Amino acid sequence: MTTIIIIKSADQRSAVTEALDSVVDAEGPVYFLRLPPVRCLGPLVQDLNPMIEHGVTYSIECLPERDDVSGLVEFAIEVDADNICIGITSRTMTGKAQIDELMESILLHERLSGDIIVGDHLIVLEELEYEM
Amino acid sequence: MLRIKFQIRSAGIASKLFAIDEQVISVEIDNALPVTEGEVFLSLTVGFHADISKESLSNQLPNIQIIDMSEANVTPHTYYLSVLADLSDVSVLSLLTENKAIPHTIVGTDSHLDVVASVRDWTHLKEVAATIEDNHGSLELVGTTQTESIGFPLGSNKVKQSISGKLSDNQLEVLETAYRLGYFKVPQEVTAEEIAEELDISRSTLSERLRRVEHSFCALLFGPQE
Repeated sequence: MTTIIIIKSADQRSAVTEALDSVVDAEGPVYFLRLPPVRCLGPLVQDLNPMIEHGVTYSIECLPERDDVSGLVEFAIEVDADNICIGITSRTMTGKAQIDELMESILLHERLSGDIIVGDHLIVLEELEYEM
Repeated sequence: MLRIKFQIRSAGIASKLFAIDEQVISVEIDNALPVTEGEVFLSLTVGFHADISKESLSNQLPNIQIIDMSEANVTPHTYYLSVLADLSDVSVLSLLTENKAIPHTIVGTDSHLDVVASVRDWTHLKEVAATIEDNHGSLELVGTTQTESIGFPLGSNKVKQSISGKLSDNQLEVLETAYRLGYFKVPQEVTAEEIAEELDISRSTLSERLRRVEHSFCALLFGPQE
């Protein structure tokens, strides 16, 4: 099962931990997808030690500068991702996960479909299917 | 099931109310009942900046028939309106129900409508969003959460509606914030100081408002104090 974990800031440790604990499995690779504003993910990922602690193989990728959601979807298709995990950065007063521009673009993207799970620290798009 | 919050540009009855001479603060659709010939009976809560008469409102809303109008007990310049309007005046509500989404709240401010609704799943979310975007020109998703319960559909939250007329906006805000942050849980998930900080009020003001809320609840349950 291939999983993409989108990381919007280097302090999304709880979201990444939740993804590693409840979404990824040892069968498939994990792609930590760093968005352009995030300069370096090494310390965060190494600290969580996905290979030792969770038995998964991973790589760190980066979307090109000024890329939009289509680049992300192309990447997901290219690696045939089963899941996309997006960290929740904040919540509304009534507890709803705040949706930013990127998340909105992903949720409303016409080529993506599947199931959506709203967790404590991340939104998981699972059983992904792609319309070509 | 997903509960979603989204914003669209102000439209329908909300934009008509915001276009009148008297300044409107907010418009909430509390209930809607379909009537024959494309008309709908609406219960609204409308906040104004000053007092307003039924005559003045009727004169400025020629295509909307105001059946009844009463002022809220506590919150000044807030009125409950019962009106007969065209179905197109609540098009977002129609689009939600036609697409089998469950509307929970529809609140208008001067520039946009804040809408909370429930949808089945991700596919349903995209269908509903696309339909509303086609009809209203734009849609911005604000938040989402997963829920097992269907919640209160528009107009069925009678307890909240009753209470909302009996407590001030400040008291309701304090109560809702304290509840949402877990102040009433055992053990407490937040301290009074943290709630006061969240609301940007002093600890003593928070305490006073919560006691007034408790007093109002007791008055509702047991009647006024002798």
